[in-house]
Amino acid sequence: MAGTRLSSMAWRNLWRNRRRTLVTLSSIAFGVMLAVLMTGLGDRSWTDVIDLAARMGTGHVTIQHPGYLDTPSLKRTIADASALEEIALATGEVTRAVGRISGQTMLAAADKSYGAAFIAVDPAAEDAGTLSVVDAFREGRMFASSRESGIILGSKLAENLGVRMGRKVVYTMTDKQGEIVSGLARVSGIIHTGAPSLDAGLCLLPIDTVREALGYREDEATEVALFVRDHRRSEALATRLDGLVGDGADALTWRETQPELAGFISMKIGGTIVFEIVIAILVAAGIFNTMFMSVMERLREFGVLMAIGFGPRRLFGLVMWESLWMALVGIAVSAVVTAGPYWVLHARGLDFSAMVGKGGSEVAGVVIDPILHVAIFPENVVVIGLAVILATLLSGLYPAWRAGRVVPVEAIKLV
Amino acid sequence: MSTQNGSIVVLENVVKLYRQGSVEVHALRGLDLHVRKGEFTAISGPSGSGKTTMLNLVGALDRPTSGRVVVDGHDLSRMGRSALSRLRRDRIGFVFQAYNLVPVLTALENAEIVLALQGISASRRRERVLALLAEVGLEGMENRRPDQLSGGQQQRVAIARAIAADPAVVLADEPTANVDSETADRLLDLMERLNADKGVTFIFSTHDPKVMGRARRVVRLVDGRVAGDESRGP
Repeated sequence: MAGTRLSSMAWRNLWRNRRRTLVTLSSIAFGVMLAVLMTGLGDRSWTDVIDLAARMGTGHVTIQHPGYLDTPSLKRTIADASALEEIALATGEVTRAVGRISGQTMLAAADKSYGAAFIAVDPAAEDAGTLSVVDAFREGRMFASSRESGIILGSKLAENLGVRMGRKVVYTMTDKQGEIVSGLARVSGIIHTGAPSLDAGLCLLPIDTVREALGYREDEATEVALFVRDHRRSEALATRLDGLVGDGADALTWRETQPELAGFISMKIGGTIVFEIVIAILVAAGIFNTMFMSVMERLREFGVLMAIGFGPRRLFGLVMWESLWMALVGIAVSAVVTAGPYWVLHARGLDFSAMVGKGGSEVAGVVIDPILHVAIFPENVVVIGLAVILATLLSGLYPAWRAGRVVPVEAIKLV
Repeated sequence: MSTQNGSIVVLENVVKLYRQGSVEVHALRGLDLHVRKGEFTAISGPSGSGKTTMLNLVGALDRPTSGRVVVDGHDLSRMGRSALSRLRRDRIGFVFQAYNLVPVLTALENAEIVLALQGISASRRRERVLALLAEVGLEGMENRRPDQLSGGQQQRVAIARAIAADPAVVLADEPTANVDSETADRLLDLMERLNADKGVTFIFSTHDPKVMGRARRVVRLVDGRVAGDESRGP
């Protein structure tokens, strides 16, 4: 009997107990819907968080001095940031590349001083697409030039220092020779991100002014921040760039430059996967129950089929075909059932602002939007589909084996 | 296929011992029987006489404890599971008391299932089975499923399925037990005709005096042995 014929018989067998099959299909659809929505929620949320984290200073990939990651210091610089930007852009994978100087500084106002992280930027090269705080001005504006003497403070930092717009702030840092250097700046902007660590501990400075203060050469920087369309390409890009930038620099992914965030995301994704595995096991148990009952109810029929010439393999194949049909119909039903909730959560999102506040919550210095949207990566849809097929086929294995082990003389009473 | 002394079925000193818990049950106690090609034989006897066991052994569904069973020249005791499966498919037809058609298949598909297992092309299967279904009086009912057929019609499909592959022998389990008297007569007419016209060898087990009356040979089993063997003229 040809495979197509066996598949046709299996298809009809699937609908012999219509109610039971529909219940099983419902459980598959429910499981797939949960898996798709949870995975989609994670895919979209973590993409937003990673992209935002990249725009808060490091980029998806960072080119920096090989020793900077372990011991961040203004002594560890890269000499020719523009050349590295061009190398990165030439790969075709990088959408934006900006050179920066970042480090620690001591800020002093009239009677108070606070430590803070600074990022020295070229205002002509930066916008909200490379530096998210550009969108967070409460007062003032971005620097007009990279050589002006302004400073942009986080809102809480300004409050702590007791300064307002236009007031003087002295910044102090250590230059390449280990000498303490200072600069005077007037507050030209105050930003409020909603992330306490940024609002209380970040300031921006014009890059050429800082270069001059630190004694850097014209194109010297501590890092080049690179941005890609899809953060999942970061690893491949960093690996590729490592071979292009030479020994004087390393290309690092956001996972390496922001290990806390990477660890948090990995932990959350791991939790989601465990939850999805539990769902898969529960759904598979339901499928197994259906397939097993279906086989046990048909032992006599299998005995008759054996008697007229079906072999054990063919009976095994028949039940496995039934499992496969169950999986394929289950996927089709799942697609229909999941489409509506997915569309709503994709377009409108799930609003958690009542729980976490309208400003969202901060994770490793990154503010997560309180309205979570769903957008699943296409490859994860394929993975879920394959998982349904695999789980259904695995659930059918024992019932199929049992069908193939039927002893005809016991299954049928000939006389 | 060569046969032993022209016999299509040979049982020689066949013993079948069942174990039910700690109790041994002798279903067959040295049964000897030869059935020739083209016979129309009824196996009768009281419950527990060994009819079921004998047909199971001849149908290659079970193995004897000792003794020899030969069907169409094949010594079943020397054959593996796959070979027995092929023998059942190619050389033995079964007609069951409860019809045992596959409920999701149509009459046509049920009747052609053995041919499909043999790898016969769809067009040849269809041609042969349509002719067979017409012969058993089911013309126009080819696309009906078992639940759309009466008991007698289902048994006709079962007979068509049993003879579709030109088996050496058809084993029929109380073929008229589940149908009314009139239908039973028509089924017996059909099987008699197939036996006479096509030379199909039939072995029935039966309690039904009407079936025994139509058989040309009646073998009576008692306590696992042949207690009587009566042949009648054609």
